[in-house]
Formats: sequence, structure tokens, C-alpha cells
Amino acid sequence: MIIISPYAKPLIKGGVNPKTPGVDYWKELIALIDEPIVQVGVEGEEQLVPDFRKNLTMPELKKLIAQCRTWIGIDSFFQHLAWDQGKPGIVLWSVSDPLIFGHPENINLLADRKYLASNQFLWWDYTPHNVDAFVKPEEVIKFL
Amino acid sequence: MQILCSVATRGRYQTTLPLVLSAIINQTRLPDKLVIFDDNDEPQDMRENPMYRHLFAMMDIKGLKWEWLFAEKKGQHHIHQKANTMGYDWVWRCDDDAIPEPNVLEQLCSYIDTTVGAIGGSILTLPHIFDTSKSTGKIKDIDLEPNIQWGNIYVTKEVEHLHCSFLYRAAIHDYNLGLSRVAHREETLFTWGLKQKGYKILAVPNAVTWHFKNPEGGIRSETKQEMFAHDEQIFRNFLQYRDSNIIVLNCGLGDHIVFNSILDSIPNPMVFGCYPEIIPCRSIAEAKSLFGDLDQWNIYKKMDQWKWTDSLENAYKKLYL
Repeated sequence: MIIISPYAKPLIKGGVNPKTPGVDYWKELIALIDEPIVQVGVEGEEQLVPDFRKNLTMPELKKLIAQCRTWIGIDSFFQHLAWDQGKPGIVLWSVSDPLIFGHPENINLLADRKYLASNQFLWWDYTPHNVDAFVKPEEVIKFL
Repeated sequence: MQILCSVATRGRYQTTLPLVLSAIINQTRLPDKLVIFDDNDEPQDMRENPMYRHLFAMMDIKGLKWEWLFAEKKGQHHIHQKANTMGYDWVWRCDDDAIPEPNVLEQLCSYIDTTVGAIGGSILTLPHIFDTSKSTGKIKDIDLEPNIQWGNIYVTKEVEHLHCSFLYRAAIHDYNLGLSRVAHREETLFTWGLKQKGYKILAVPNAVTWHFKNPEGGIRSETKQEMFAHDEQIFRNFLQYRDSNIIVLNCGLGDHIVFNSILDSIPNPMVFGCYPEIIPCRSIAEAKSLFGDLDQWNIYKKMDQWKWTDSLENAYKKLYL
């Protein structure tokens, strides 16, 4: 079983957080995965797989992480939690810098550093969403 | 090594400010730049004043770069924080009624090394010169002794706080912008903060500044007692927790998790945060109430200030270890 953690915190002004590739991207990636998937997230996020576990407590999330083979996420709290639990996974990066916010124990996939936001320490509200900033699903699957 | 001299001024155009500027111009070691932060309610263009014109001409002839900036009228702590982050290695802060003898900056500079955070000399207020030879300069004794800078200093002493005018290492510690406009205790909190970050604070001999105390004007020319009481309470709160390492995590869930990995390395932590399920902590609201401004612990602001390119974990280590 693998876990996916597809979304980052919503933007203050609304709209898609540039740190997440978006629903269509995830659907394409999920279609390429040939093993059970558990999606984790919170109420209000779009369900991508049959098994969507919402609003898990911290102990529940840790237990799930311990049970999974690996996970795919983005630059959100989940990649830090899984790192803290000693479970390596794949992180899909776009505008935030894996050298600052990532962990070398993970597979950090970044299409190109040219997509990184010039200021890494502001809110993401004014950084445009760009799905091309993410490594393509067919490339991601090679690391799974 | 680049040194900025900052002078915050209010209500003293025609009294002590020109004396202070003249004393700075005549230092045996000139600063690399002088910035006058004008906090007057009705600021004037002093280039139209003959006396100031001469002072500015002297600066130009001596190669002392200078700038006159109009301040935000929010108090001198805002001014000092601006000077603190202007990109200089050291800042020599001079009050607008404290006249340094010609050797002061040179003498203060002679104590600079990698372990030192701030250096101050005597600040003598006539007609009273205290005997401060027994003053320890320790923060715990602040209510029990005259400030060591109020008297002649005969030997170099490592202390824990300074006041009024001193030379300090820039961009290491922030001024507390949560203080009121009077900024009572701002320099004590600031130098104590440098000390807590591991730097030596020195009170040194042969660096005398004459304080022409004048009830008129001055950057603290507010009389509202509630402002002083507010700032005093913040100061007392810092004193109360002086043996703890105050940690404020006003940031996201993931940031808490990353910070947690270094928590065990920090002695006597007192944590204020947003996610007690990650790290047992007291609330951010309580931290704000106790300590005023929390920006000095804002890891994102710090990383931006440091132009950080290393990991978040290492940024936390830089801030807290």
C-alpha cells in the first residue's frame, strides 16, 4: 500500500496552491500506479481514490505511515511527518526549494530550478500555479 | 568591516544635535556612514540652516558619507532596527544629546573580535558621576546597582547589558518592536538579547560620552505612564524567563515537525507554538502578551533576512543553538 498526500494548505485568497500539481495531474499519476493507494487529507479536498481518509489524528497518521510501503506527496507537512517517522517517499516539487524545505532521505523530484519562486519565504498566494513545473507522471512512476 | 553610525533625533535641532554631529565628524576613527533618523513631528530641511550646512560640508570634505532620513514616528526602537538591518557589520548608536569624545569609536572598535556582540564606554551625566566600580553589569542586579556606564570605567568588564550609546554587531539580534513609542528598556533588552545569543558584552575604559541631559526634546519625549508600564512589564517578563531558551514557533505544522528534531539540543527550552500535538507548548497569544513583538523568532523572516539557501533544520539551529 502506498499513501498519497496530494494537497497543500489552501491559499488565503483562494485558488490552487502552486505547490500542488492539481487534480488532473494526480488522476494521471494514480492511473499509472498498480498497487493499493490510500489518500490522506482533510474535509473539502477532492477525493482521488476510493480509500480517502480525512482528518486523521497525528497518531492515526503515524500508524498509517508505519504500515505503508512508501508514499507520494508534495511540499506539505506530510513530507516532514513521514521523514520524522523514518519512512522515505517521493516528493513532487515545483516552486519551493527542496534544498531548503526537503529532506535528502526522500526522492525529491523537481522539473527544473528555473521554476523556483525567487523569494522562498513569502506566502504562496502571489506565485502562479504552473503544472509544467512538476516532473511528469510517467517520469515519477519510474521512482516508485 | 563596515561601521554605520546612527543618530535618532527628536526636538533637538537647535540644542544638542549639532554638538553630537560635530563630535562624530571629529572622531579619530570615522564611521563608514552616518545616518541621522529625524523623528520630529515637524521635520525640517536642515540644509537650509547655516550651521548644519557647515556640518554637512565638513562631512563631505572628510569623506564621511551621510544621509538624513525622515523616521516613522513610531519610536526609536523602529529606527534602531532599521539601522540594525542596513547591511553594515557594526552599528555605533549615538543619542542626540550624548557627545562622544574624539577617541570613542576608535576605542570601542579596538575591542572588536569574533566573540564580541556589543561594546560601550562611560556615559557621564553631569553633574552626577556615580561610583560604578562595584557594578557587575549583570541583568540580575539591574535593580540593585547603578548602571556601569554611569560612572568612569577603569577596567574592561564583561557585562550583560548596556544603555544609551554603544557599538554593536549588526543583524544578529532584533530590537523588540512590540515596545511602545517610548521604547523604555529597548537597549537593555537588545544588548541582553545579544548576550543570550552567545556574544560578549563589554564595558570598556577610555571611551567617554558626555550626556547633556535636557528635559526638552529627545526621542523618548512621551510622558504617558502607561507606555512605560507596558514596556517595563515586557522587560520583566524577559527577566523572569532569563534562564530559559524562549522558542516561538509561529509557523506551520511541518515547520514544527522539523523544529522538533533539534529540540533536544536546546537547554531549558520554553516553547510557544501552534501545534501542541507535535511539541507540548504554550500559545502564541501568550508569547505575544509576554514578550511584545515575536518577529525575532519568526523563522521565515529570519531566513529571508539571512538570504538563506541551506535547510530549514539548519536555519532553526542557527536561530536557537
